[in-house]
Amino acid sequence: MNGKGLIKGLKVTICKFFKKKITQKYPEVMPRLPSRSQGSFTFASEKCTSCNLCADSCPNGVIRVKYFKDAKGKRLLEDYSLNMTYCLFCGLCVHACPTGAINFKTDFELTCFKKENTVLKWAGSCQKEDDASWNDTALKMASAE
Amino acid sequence: MTVIYFIGALVFVLLNVLILVWMERRVAGFFQERVGPNRIGPFGLLQTVNDTVKLIGKESIIPKAADRAVFMIAPVLIFASAMMLYAVIPFGKGIVFANINVGLFYFVAVGSTTTIALLMAGWGSNNKYSLLGGMRTIAQIISYEIPLMFSMLGVVMLAGSLNLSEIVNAQKNTWFVLLQPVSFVIFFIAATAELNRGPFDLPEAEQELVGGYHTEYTGMRFALFFLSEYANLLSISALAATLFLGGWQGPFLPSWMWFLVKVYFVIFLFMWVRWTYPRIRMDWLMKLNWKFLLPLSIINILATGIGIKICQYFQAAGR
Repeated sequence: MNGKGLIKGLKVTICKFFKKKITQKYPEVMPRLPSRSQGSFTFASEKCTSCNLCADSCPNGVIRVKYFKDAKGKRLLEDYSLNMTYCLFCGLCVHACPTGAINFKTDFELTCFKKENTVLKWAGSCQKEDDASWNDTALKMASAE
Repeated sequence: MTVIYFIGALVFVLLNVLILVWMERRVAGFFQERVGPNRIGPFGLLQTVNDTVKLIGKESIIPKAADRAVFMIAPVLIFASAMMLYAVIPFGKGIVFANINVGLFYFVAVGSTTTIALLMAGWGSNNKYSLLGGMRTIAQIISYEIPLMFSMLGVVMLAGSLNLSEIVNAQKNTWFVLLQPVSFVIFFIAATAELNRGPFDLPEAEQELVGGYHTEYTGMRFALFFLSEYANLLSISALAATLFLGGWQGPFLPSWMWFLVKVYFVIFLFMWVRWTYPRIRMDWLMKLNWKFLLPLSIINILATGIGIKICQYFQAAGR
């Protein structure tokens, strides 16, 4: 019959009219983002092997991995930083990481007042000689050997 | 007294337009699973006030190549004709600004002057999009006026009067939408086209004509176009409620409240249709009018006449 589609269309829209709205009122209510959404980053320094794959994969040179080598030539992470001003949230670093040290989290509120605060920094699990913690780990490693 | 009536009508129209613009955006949002404007004031009701203040603050630009006089008169003319329509509408029991015997005729006659103002706006802007919009308006509104009036004729034949108050009185027992369902549908379709609302919004098609006849207008002049668009929506809905839904008749509630409820119901129908269907093509628009609505409305008039005659025959025989 002619005009059947017209009635059907009206039915569809009126169903949408009374349906629950998908809009989330953001500043008052935090949106429920899917767990895989690409917001800010989490970094687990104990998992990091300082392989530098993340920094190499980054198209914008956002990531800086600072490390040093111990007596046996093993890389030890000293400092890890993400300059978020240039970050695209492409996720290539997360894909590249062999140990899953760097990951996305759903937090997306990254604005801040000062430009230097846009840099996300994590201290590595090891620090260089003059640092006490470094000495501790070095001692531990020596005792383990 | 006339001044008081005019101010009364103006206040009524402005208040309702404020609500209507908000309602349009809100309803559109709801149809698209959004919530629409909801920040300013309770439920976002003051959003329109905000926008209006912004519009008044804008610079009113007149293009160099425009036909200055025509360009400047057009928005005033369109708003004046939109306001004049409210003179004959019965808002409630005994609330009518001018209870004239040819009320419906007056409404239709004044309503069709809008066309000239729209063409003036399109022509005066000296812009190809505006001119196209103006031309489309003429083609569309003049063609759709015929089935619109023919659909009213069925009601007039049943009521036996052109006076809107008497038409309302004639619907004391049965609403004319029940006796004239076909003419209500024709009226509704033709009125949608008359109002330049979707799916018949070709004259101001934003995507192809960047706004049609009001492309070149800014500030308060644009606001007048916007205002008259919604004022026309309100008056046509008021006419629909008066002709087909029994006007202010109804139990319990005060008469003016019944009238407003019916008017807003019709407005909701218009919005429902607008936010459901995509824009129709120009040749389909014309085809729908000349090959479908016009013959149908003529047949409807014929059927109504025959029905009235049969009723009269049986009434005479019963006596």
